[in-house]
Amino acid sequence: MFNTIGDVRTGLSTQQYIATDDISTAMFLADRLGKPLLTEGPAGVGKTELSKAWAGATGRELIRLQCYEGLDETKALYEWEYAKQLLYTQLLRDKLGEVLGDAATLREAADRLASEEEVFFSERFLLPRPLLRAITSDKPVVLLIDEIDRADAEFEAFLLEVLSDFQVSVPELGTLKAKHTPTVILTSNNTRELSEALKRRCLYIFIDYPDLESELRIVQLKVPGLAPKLARQAVEMVQLLRDLDLKKHPSVSETLDWARALVALNTRALDQKTIDNTLSVLLKYQSDLQRAKRAMEGGSGRRKERGSLGSDPRGFEGLDRYN
Amino acid sequence: MDDRIVNFIAGLRAAGVRVSVAESVDALRAIEQAGIQDKDLFRAALQTTLVKDPQAVPAFQRLFPLYFGSDAPPMQQPGGGGSMSEEEQQMLQQMLQQMLAEMSPEQLAELFEAMMRGQQPTNEQIRDMLGQLPLPPMTHPYYQEWMTRRAMRQMQFARLDQALQELLEQLREAGMSEEALQEIAEAAQQNQQALAEQIARQVGQQMIEQAQAEGMRPQSMDQLMDRPFEHLTPDETKDLRTLVNRLAARLRSRMALRQRRGKSGTLDAKGTIRTNLRFGGVPLIVRHRRRHLKPRLVVICDLSISMRPIAGFMLLLIYALQDQISRTRSFAFIDDLHDVSVDFAQCRTERAIEQIQERIRPPRSYATDLGNSLGTFVQDYCGCVDHRTTVIVLGDARNNENDPNLEAFSQIRRRARRIVWFNPEPPSMWGRYDPGSLSSDMLKYMPMCDSVHHVSTMRDLAAAIDHLFTRRG
Repeated sequence: MFNTIGDVRTGLSTQQYIATDDISTAMFLADRLGKPLLTEGPAGVGKTELSKAWAGATGRELIRLQCYEGLDETKALYEWEYAKQLLYTQLLRDKLGEVLGDAATLREAADRLASEEEVFFSERFLLPRPLLRAITSDKPVVLLIDEIDRADAEFEAFLLEVLSDFQVSVPELGTLKAKHTPTVILTSNNTRELSEALKRRCLYIFIDYPDLESELRIVQLKVPGLAPKLARQAVEMVQLLRDLDLKKHPSVSETLDWARALVALNTRALDQKTIDNTLSVLLKYQSDLQRAKRAMEGGSGRRKERGSLGSDPRGFEGLDRYN
Repeated sequence: MDDRIVNFIAGLRAAGVRVSVAESVDALRAIEQAGIQDKDLFRAALQTTLVKDPQAVPAFQRLFPLYFGSDAPPMQQPGGGGSMSEEEQQMLQQMLQQMLAEMSPEQLAELFEAMMRGQQPTNEQIRDMLGQLPLPPMTHPYYQEWMTRRAMRQMQFARLDQALQELLEQLREAGMSEEALQEIAEAAQQNQQALAEQIARQVGQQMIEQAQAEGMRPQSMDQLMDRPFEHLTPDETKDLRTLVNRLAARLRSRMALRQRRGKSGTLDAKGTIRTNLRFGGVPLIVRHRRRHLKPRLVVICDLSISMRPIAGFMLLLIYALQDQISRTRSFAFIDDLHDVSVDFAQCRTERAIEQIQERIRPPRSYATDLGNSLGTFVQDYCGCVDHRTTVIVLGDARNNENDPNLEAFSQIRRRARRIVWFNPEPPSMWGRYDPGSLSSDMLKYMPMCDSVHHVSTMRDLAAAIDHLFTRRG
């Protein structure tokens, strides 16, 4: 599909995803080697977006498995559809009576029922969950296992079989093997150490916050309505905020939200009032908001002296110690 | 190329990066796919297959140029530019021949020849030269630059400049044109630069190989965990601090597992009915209420000089686990008790700990007074201890001959669910007289504690804190 790494990059950019060399190389290799790709990094840098873009670029279906604490096989892999089974038994009662009616003994009836067992444990009653869907799909798909670090360690161990051989075993049906190797992308916010075994089976890439120019490109691509000068100012400001000692740093998605907010408010210039009004789009903690505001007051004082947005977070810290 | 990649992987391993065999196979396959034309893509391909840990990225970035360094453009032959006549060429060769014959030591002559003839020596040749030098067996990457400078000095690399000037001087006297001289000088200097880079790379590789041979890995997480707090260097303290968060994450998942395994307990009637709706209400699956063992903590820390580092780490770890703890009150004492919970409520943990350590300083030597501090606690803060609270005392119980105030301690004990003592001294020192801090009252407090842990390393500390979350504790 993609012959060179450059193709990957152009493919992703048609989906409005700006991929660095590292990202496009990793995606290219994940596709070529048929290995899962583990992406790690702070929240909101476009890890999930990457798999969406990849699915779009390759024209494949995206199957998403969102992980959470307590996720188990029945939610991730498959489940027998008990209600349907019960319903069928009820509706087929007459037929069952017919089949079993002339059995002489209880044992014979049970044997006869057992021989028909596969009717009830067939794929008809199997409720496929994301993993099984990805494996049994007739067309190649993209499987996104989102926030794997939230799932329990047991589930991670269970994933190993799926990820290394792309097959799962259902006791009643046997082993189901993937018809096409799906492209698997795992994301992790690094809240917990993933096991060595899992990492070994995956390619790995750490996606960090983009630098000023890349983020500016992203903003211009996704929010074309924002004036170029304003966009630059906004992105510079976000980059400064990331340097501050905050509880939660603004992510790229929040930069985009902010940019959209600025467009919606029809902002012409990034003045103190606009910032005060819209800063809550970027920062989600009260203490972060206050700290940023203090830093900016210090920064605007500095701006006059140095002719640029204050960019010395250390200085701000020193300031607020005396506040 | 494969050889170089394999060497590189060995180098990574020596630098403490875990690379499995399967991963090296992946790396080779990845290179087949990605190709080696574009160096950035080549690096990205190696990185994505070999490095699975953000912490290992710096090591990768440091080693990569050493093995696949920007091989400087091929050396050019001085005077090959065409502005020299046949005679001048010959003149240059002759003079060079002469100078080389007179030059000593031999290595220097070889280097000079390489520089003037534009024939880059192979890595092996450089390695041979390095092998003859009496270089100290340093393996830590920190020393790499220093080692390079030292190797250059021992090779008398600076004398190459001198030799070049001499040669140019001689050529000038012999009547070579300024233009040609200029050209020779430029090319020679570029070659010299290339040589210097090559030597630096080889020194780096040699150091890595030595490290491999010694099997000496840079400090891994495991070693750091086992190092006593009082022997930590500032660098290690920093490393350990970043480690605390990962440790907390590990403890957290261990706690979650422990809770999941607890499959007994009170019946969760609502949950059971809900899950069994699909069986027509027949309770095939029985749900139990999960027991969340979220303890309430009161932490009393000794902040005297000897206890400072460990107190910092303990607070760091406890506050990193806040989501597993329903409530924490922290106190610190030297001669008297201070409530420090406010600091943690206002700032981030690291900052709070810095603030506390700045604010609370020993007023004089031999100031520690645990008895007095316990008295203050009972008087002012006893209300925050109830039957669900676990009280942790972190201290060496060295009380400078003051009254241990056992009465206050037993009063706290009566109110609390349990009292746990963390002591950084080994059990053999408990109760022994020590000239530095006089008496130890550990043995007096000990019978009243539910458990006493010896915590001198991060591992001990993690185990002791993990213990708080078990049912019996």
